[in-house]
Amino acid sequence: MNIDLATPSAPNLDAIFAALADPTRREILTRLAGGEATVNEIASPFEMSQPAISKHLKVLERAGLVTRAVDQQRRPAKLNAKPMREAVDWLEAFREFWLGSFDQLDGLLDQLKHEEKD
Amino acid sequence: MTELPVYVLERAFNAPRALVWRTWTEPDLLSKWYGPGVETVIHELDVQPGGQWLNEMRMGDSSGYQKSVFTEVVPPERLIMLMSTTNADWELAPNPMMPDWPATLLTVVTFEETDGVTQMRLEWSPHNASPAEIACFAGAVENLGKGWGAGMEMLAQILADLQA
Repeated sequence: MNIDLATPSAPNLDAIFAALADPTRREILTRLAGGEATVNEIASPFEMSQPAISKHLKVLERAGLVTRAVDQQRRPAKLNAKPMREAVDWLEAFREFWLGSFDQLDGLLDQLKHEEKD
Repeated sequence: MTELPVYVLERAFNAPRALVWRTWTEPDLLSKWYGPGVETVIHELDVQPGGQWLNEMRMGDSSGYQKSVFTEVVPPERLIMLMSTTNADWELAPNPMMPDWPATLLTVVTFEETDGVTQMRLEWSPHNASPAEIACFAGAVENLGKGWGAGMEMLAQILADLQA
């Protein structure tokens, strides 16, 4: 895992998982995976008002999953994959650490059993 | 009081329970298996209620530190400890990269033997955790427990698409 120590704020897993828990927001992320889009463009396939979509975008922004241009009238939203990647890596790392340890323990126990026999 | 999230890992070992117990309670054995791909240095291992396990993991030039305080020791059946990440002075220090990850995890290890095979079960849950830490751990467990749940599958797909 390539950890960028200069990152000002570490990913907030709480916010990320809350953001991902909603099917509409996952749809929005999928849409943004295809490229940046304005609120209008995002809203068109949904039976939802622009303010409702804007609310969802705010949740995604707070989780660091989406960034929005500040200097343009259209303010297109863009997927920001880095915090997601780090959060996923973190969760996997804990599990991998222990499973790797268990493998080593397995080997050690075999060795100890043989030593006891000798 | 809502129930705390628990993360569980289990593994069967083809060895008697008394032997598996030794690998947790003798420092020269514990250091051989704990921590894959790192050099594990055990500064202290005092397996009794109130006793502590001070663990350093060396990865190249840097080290990670953990302090575990045993709260229950029932040989050879059960170990309960509070595992925390610390700084080099063994003071509790939340991980700067993941501030919402619980700083201390209540860790319950149980050993059950059937016909020479030992089933080892580890359970982790947040201890004295803030609501943010509990929510973070709950979200993690929920998604990991499903081995990539719906949200994570979506995430994996998005990441794969981005890299295509």
